[in-house]
Amino acid sequence: MNHMILQVVSKIMIPFIQVFGIYVVLFGHLSPGGGFAGGTILGVSLIFYRMVYGKAETRLKFPFELMMKMMCGALILYGVLKGYSFLTGGNHSYLPQLPLGTPGNILSGGYLLPLNVLVGITVTVTIYFLFTLFYEGEI
Amino acid sequence: MERLFINYFETGAIILFGVGFATLLLHNNLIKKIIGMNIMDTAIFLFFIAKGYIPGREAPIIQDVHKGAAGYINPVPSALMLTGIVVAVSITAFALALTIKLHEKYGTIELDQIMEMRGD
Amino acid sequence: MISLAMAKSFPLLILLILLISAFIMPLVKNNRVVKGISLGTMMMAAVLSVITMIYVVKNGSFVYRIGHWDAPWGIEFYISPMEAAIGVLFTWVAGLILWYSLYSLEKEIPSEKLPFYYLLVNVLIGALLGIVYSNDIFNCFVFVEISTLASCGIVVIKDKKENIKAALKYLILSCLGSGLFLMGIAFLYSITGNLNMTFIYKEVAAAQYVYPNVILISVVLFTIGLGVKSAMFPLHTWLPDAHSSAPSVSSALLSSLVLKGFVILLIKILFRALGFTLVKELPILDLILILGSLGMIMGSVFAILQKEIKRVIAYSSVAQVGYIFFGIGLASELGVAVALYHVFGHAVTKAMLFLTVGAMIETTGKKKIEDFKGIGKEMPITLGLFTLGALSMVGIPILPGFVSKWNLALASISAGKPILVAIILISSILNALYYFPVVIHGFFGEENLKDRVYKSKQKPVKEMLPVICLSVAVLFVGLISEPLIQLFSLGLK
Repeated sequence: MNHMILQVVSKIMIPFIQVFGIYVVLFGHLSPGGGFAGGTILGVSLIFYRMVYGKAETRLKFPFELMMKMMCGALILYGVLKGYSFLTGGNHSYLPQLPLGTPGNILSGGYLLPLNVLVGITVTVTIYFLFTLFYEGEI
Repeated sequence: MERLFINYFETGAIILFGVGFATLLLHNNLIKKIIGMNIMDTAIFLFFIAKGYIPGREAPIIQDVHKGAAGYINPVPSALMLTGIVVAVSITAFALALTIKLHEKYGTIELDQIMEMRGD
Repeated sequence: MISLAMAKSFPLLILLILLISAFIMPLVKNNRVVKGISLGTMMMAAVLSVITMIYVVKNGSFVYRIGHWDAPWGIEFYISPMEAAIGVLFTWVAGLILWYSLYSLEKEIPSEKLPFYYLLVNVLIGALLGIVYSNDIFNCFVFVEISTLASCGIVVIKDKKENIKAALKYLILSCLGSGLFLMGIAFLYSITGNLNMTFIYKEVAAAQYVYPNVILISVVLFTIGLGVKSAMFPLHTWLPDAHSSAPSVSSALLSSLVLKGFVILLIKILFRALGFTLVKELPILDLILILGSLGMIMGSVFAILQKEIKRVIAYSSVAQVGYIFFGIGLASELGVAVALYHVFGHAVTKAMLFLTVGAMIETTGKKKIEDFKGIGKEMPITLGLFTLGALSMVGIPILPGFVSKWNLALASISAGKPILVAIILISSILNALYYFPVVIHGFFGEENLKDRVYKSKQKPVKEMLPVICLSVAVLFVGLISEPLIQLFSLGLK
């Protein structure tokens, strides 16, 4: 789909989609939304890019290895963060936790913000992988 | 009978569940089976969320002032069903991927035709 | 002692180790490192589960809260001797199967998929342990779904026609099962308002007189939903395809561990969340008893009709799961304890059978039973180990199969249903009918004499060592049957 119109429109639209996705991820602990919804929006922007520019160019920008590393890294970090929280909570040991902050601020809610970001990364990559696997049979 | 009309959410959910169940079991086409699976899951979500709904109360999102626990519906079923939706999405994706693979190998997605073709 | 006080957090630590380390594997390029990580983490989990077991036996069962919230709001793990013992079983059997897989897996699946295979195995075992440990029904549901997806993954990884067909069949039927299971949770939640099993037990005592039908509906939904997943007799149709077409390491994992996870969840819901006294009054246990007996007989009959050896063993699993449901259906504490003991015995024995058969198929390249005539001369150790497993399945004294059959017979007599002993006997004879021909033709067939070289196809002892360890485990489980059964009946209270 190498149309001029699509390319021009996508150049304008993709940044807006991504900014909106990042907004939904970052404000997940204050308003409806969160990692899953925001990650889906971000993933859709990648899918849009792939549909307009084709396989070869997208692979240059978002290579499979990088995406895989991001997803696995996000999952491992999620496990470590949440595991730390679980273990300290379960053992009743009062080790330092992430600060709760003032409700309503963006930097608040303890673990929710970093976990939302990690879920967002994972979902972004997963949605993109799913689409490419269905669409072309390979990533 | 009257109770069925009072609890119309639950009645609807159970009917929908039956529709999905029948679609899943009776249809030969794999895509239709997956659609039936999704209808079934959606029916369960509806049932669960109807259990958490209390008439006249708000969604559990604090806007400006906190109204206390009496002001909001039960948020637990909604939170659980969010998890359930994610699970259903991943299972649907996996089933569709397998269906595509199956179509590559057998050339059809009708289950009875596939069952007739014995492997190697 | 600090280490023993720490033991309370070990179940959670096992889950974290398994689930986090799973996602390191795709990042590693070298397959040897992947195997090392997989085996290492499983061994760590095994050691931790043993320490937990020691702690639980010494200090009694305990509750461990996950995170910073106490029970009705937060999730918690409930570890009784039963859960601790099942955890030991799962981690050790999985560890031995993984050890075996180091040498044989590359011959069945392409090497670039190996990291993903070990990822799936780690996630699968982690999810199964989650089902066993967790005290929260919805949490169990999520783990059930994860383990279903992972077990479909380890079936489909071979990328052959039959695998995809079998995995899709398995996936659709288990989605049906999980849908019913979730509906059961919805009904139970609507009358008790809790998802925590301890709290459900408290609430349901008051609710059972107000909503008797709702409880019955939810129990039926749980039984059928989990029955589909654990291959209860008329719902077993997915099992032979999935278990026989998968790589033999996957078959061993699926047959010995995955089925058992769901059975244990059913036992936990029936006897911990709802309680013995309540469940005894429901007609559901009779249904489970009838279906279990039917499975014991029909599974064996189907197994006799099969021609491929892996399908025979897969159908034998249907029969053996029938024994477990038979024990649950007896509705006595001894019955359930023996059912749990059978989980133990069957897990080690079936893992051994699938691995030995996998070794035979791997070296000869044949699948049919008749092709294995005279194999005893070529692979004496492998067939010897197979014979041990077969003897246990048929029920020769000392071996676990005999112990559980004997105790099931005792339990059915004390439950006032002596006619059921006949079913156990018939099922044992049918078991003998399909296991012994393989052994007898293997060792004493006429084909032994001509052009077969002694030990020509035997795998090196180093590669068979995990299976030998499993055979030691079979003997061990048979020998310590008394304390194990006592432990289980203790854990159910």
